[in-house]
Amino acid sequence: MLGAATARRAPATPPRGERLGFRAPGAAATTPPSYWDVLEPLLEQVRKPAQYVGGEHNQILSAWNAASTRWLLCYPDTYEVGQPNQGIQILYEILNERSETLAERAYAPWIDLEERQREQGIPTFSLEHHRPLWAFDVLAVTLPHELGHTNLLNLLDLGGVSIRADQRGVDDPIVLVGGHAAYNPEPLAPFIDAAVMGDGEEVTLEVDDALAAWKRDHLAADTAPGPDARQDLLRRLAAVEGVYVPAFYAPRYLDDGRLRQTVPIEPGVPALVPKRTVQDLEQWAYPRKQIVPMTETVHERFSVEIFRGCTRGCRFCQAGMITRPVRERRPETIQKLVEDGVRDTGFNEVGLLSLSSADHSAIGPIARDLADAYEGTTTSLSLPSTRVDAFNVTLSNELSRNGRRTGLTFAPEAGSERMRAVINKMVSEEDLLRTAETAFSEGWRHIKLYFMVGLPTETDEDVLAIADLGIKTYGIARKHGKANKVTISVGGFVPKPHTPFQWCAQDPPDEIHRKLSLIRHAIKDHGGLKLRTNDPEEGVIEGLLARGDRRVAAAVERAWQLGARFDGWHEMPTLDTWLQALEETGISLEWFSYRERDDKEALPWDHLDSGLDKTWLWEDWQDARSDKELDDCRWSACYDCGVCPGLSIEHDTGYTGGFQLPVLPQGLGGGSQQLPTAPERYASGG
Amino acid sequence: MTQRYRIRWTKEGRTRYISARDLTSVWERGLRRADLPIAYSEGFTPHPKVSFPDALPVGYASTGEYAELTFVAPIVPDRDLARLSATLPTGMDITTYLAVPDGAPKLARMLKATLWELVWPPNDVAELTELLHRRSRELVASERAEVVRRRPDGDRIIDVRPALLTLAASTRPTEGGDVCTVLRAVLRNDGPTVRPTDLHAALSRDDIAEPLRYRRVAQGEAVDAGLREALSDAVVPLVPDVDAEAA
Repeated sequence: MLGAATARRAPATPPRGERLGFRAPGAAATTPPSYWDVLEPLLEQVRKPAQYVGGEHNQILSAWNAASTRWLLCYPDTYEVGQPNQGIQILYEILNERSETLAERAYAPWIDLEERQREQGIPTFSLEHHRPLWAFDVLAVTLPHELGHTNLLNLLDLGGVSIRADQRGVDDPIVLVGGHAAYNPEPLAPFIDAAVMGDGEEVTLEVDDALAAWKRDHLAADTAPGPDARQDLLRRLAAVEGVYVPAFYAPRYLDDGRLRQTVPIEPGVPALVPKRTVQDLEQWAYPRKQIVPMTETVHERFSVEIFRGCTRGCRFCQAGMITRPVRERRPETIQKLVEDGVRDTGFNEVGLLSLSSADHSAIGPIARDLADAYEGTTTSLSLPSTRVDAFNVTLSNELSRNGRRTGLTFAPEAGSERMRAVINKMVSEEDLLRTAETAFSEGWRHIKLYFMVGLPTETDEDVLAIADLGIKTYGIARKHGKANKVTISVGGFVPKPHTPFQWCAQDPPDEIHRKLSLIRHAIKDHGGLKLRTNDPEEGVIEGLLARGDRRVAAAVERAWQLGARFDGWHEMPTLDTWLQALEETGISLEWFSYRERDDKEALPWDHLDSGLDKTWLWEDWQDARSDKELDDCRWSACYDCGVCPGLSIEHDTGYTGGFQLPVLPQGLGGGSQQLPTAPERYASGG
Repeated sequence: MTQRYRIRWTKEGRTRYISARDLTSVWERGLRRADLPIAYSEGFTPHPKVSFPDALPVGYASTGEYAELTFVAPIVPDRDLARLSATLPTGMDITTYLAVPDGAPKLARMLKATLWELVWPPNDVAELTELLHRRSRELVASERAEVVRRRPDGDRIIDVRPALLTLAASTRPTEGGDVCTVLRAVLRNDGPTVRPTDLHAALSRDDIAEPLRYRRVAQGEAVDAGLREALSDAVVPLVPDVDAEAA
């Protein structure tokens, strides 16, 4: 064969113990190899190759040997899902703004590329320079949900780094996790070096400072680092407020298998690790220079977080519990971020992000000013949010000035008034139907209603009320036009840590199936009313990992060994793999997921302080069971959840007195026929 | 008063992996960043009026991509298209433009043929170039040259010969200071599509490796020495003129 390419081998991965030269701060460092030349020939053989090439507008290229500290920021899912993540983009920007800090990005390769990487010896790489994971100081991973855990193990292994923290040495990266699933990192405890709960802006820079100081002390000197050097780094990290080092804590169990307590085993570490909270969002107007992808992602828009936190108090909602209190961004700051960002990126869509965007005290003026600024242009505005009920039709009308009034989404979450009182979703049926009436009469064509089944205290009557509400809404839709549509989307509820429902039993998938078929049967004579459901099996792994303790780590490791990855993807059904792993490791779903806990039992995250007072959470759980509702403390009295005094911070909003918000729609719907997958649902989160 | 421009642009480096369906948004965002008054289609989901005559397979390089842009207000093309070129991702550059008078024939009709380039790594250069010379002569002399195009949905038999106008093998220096083998061929754009991979299949009897790179060099009208490029009228030679192309 003439003209064949010379077989090109990937640069050899140096064995552990010989990597310190890459880690040295500044000019003393050896620059690690780029794997681009060996990666490139593989790209024509894999799906969506553009996700691996980098080179996007606003990517930041820094010289390896000009930096003292080097971070690899990672979203443990595909680029298409992970790239829009706001958290990663914020940290990317603020770390790279430091003159001596370098941050690059990495995402999980799809299985077709992973297979070839393993054949050719190409490690997990950064997009900017295609540098290997093993050369970085920190692998910082955001875990917006639990379904990236096996991907995290896979990225480490592929990246030439031991998956177990206790086998890593002084020349291995620190594995640091954040994001909502880091509020219970116990199922990942043996695999990570540290976890951080809460807002990342300040703590990330403090970790960077601690790392830089440690490197000056241990790696810049002429002598080799001592045997205690890595342990010293972990101790320095644990001294940063909000950094949890699992190796410094140990769980103690009762004879019956319940957890008694998780206790510190290293002198000087706090018994209770607090979350971090940024009081003034105005000081952190990021991300400004957002990455503009060259290939399709789940959210292609310039996104601005308009406030952080939520106190609606929905009892099922982890995000609304752990991100308190509410801190608003000023309208003028929002306007400036949007205008500068749209000009800089060329995006034609603006997303105003938060947990409940219509709850911003100035949402009316914000929407009006932006709608004015972009009226008659091809820039469209959206208020995406998966959870919100507060968004009125007028606001949607305002934001859709440039577009078509197609779909609105409401999230009543439960079908009966009683059930909504249990979950504290304060929406009455009358309000909902009136809003539907307004929406259809003002020209909206499609309403989507989001519900959950498997909620605590739920009866079949409550389940059937979902069908009933759908049928009533559809009746209104038909009155305004024969082509109008109503879709009810129903998913299975997964209880999460740091919520009033953290003690409740999760419904097994059989029970969710049964409840879904009750709904399906009840609406069968209403042909125009569509039902969309998630696969009930999808909640099984999510639920186990959400509330599992350190013993569950064995199952995570085994499931990964057996091939589980991309657990949230329809394309990758991993449940059977997981069930085998659970069987082999003796982990019981009955015990971890389907069992109700009482207040005598310690929870795996009790030593991680989200600010919420556990007594208050328990009382709120008891209130839930007696159908008792609780107001939003932004505009009514404080009910002592514990967050503000505990963190010495407070709400920072434009609300001055109490007022009533109507029930309201939540986002401009798209046309997908399937419920979003878990990775998609969480992708936009901070 | 709308203004139309036809441009020739490159798709090299990392941008080779941008798929045809993603290109529209890459161009739209570039046009918006450059703040140029691109026209939009009517309707509920307006699209920028940027049209591409045909799609390039993902992974192929090109210095011969074309597009037609419609603007709603006059632009200063030297200045504004340079700005647009600068804001596009690295590897995508606008190299030529031409204002389109009313009544001009469609762009696709000006792109009657394509000059393709197959580039091998700098191995077996003399032997490979000689073999390609010989096979090229045989191919031109033949009446039919059927190859099998393997596809997931079933193999297809393609006759390469009718589309092939001219071809020539040559060598040129690489960036790394070596010399590599290059085959340039002009294929007709009308009639059944013949891809440069089909051309490789017609030349190889399992003895010529896949080229390192397929590149669409330029499109226009076939002439004796190569191809007359559609927008500039310059002749792109079959045997690459190394000095001229470096300049």
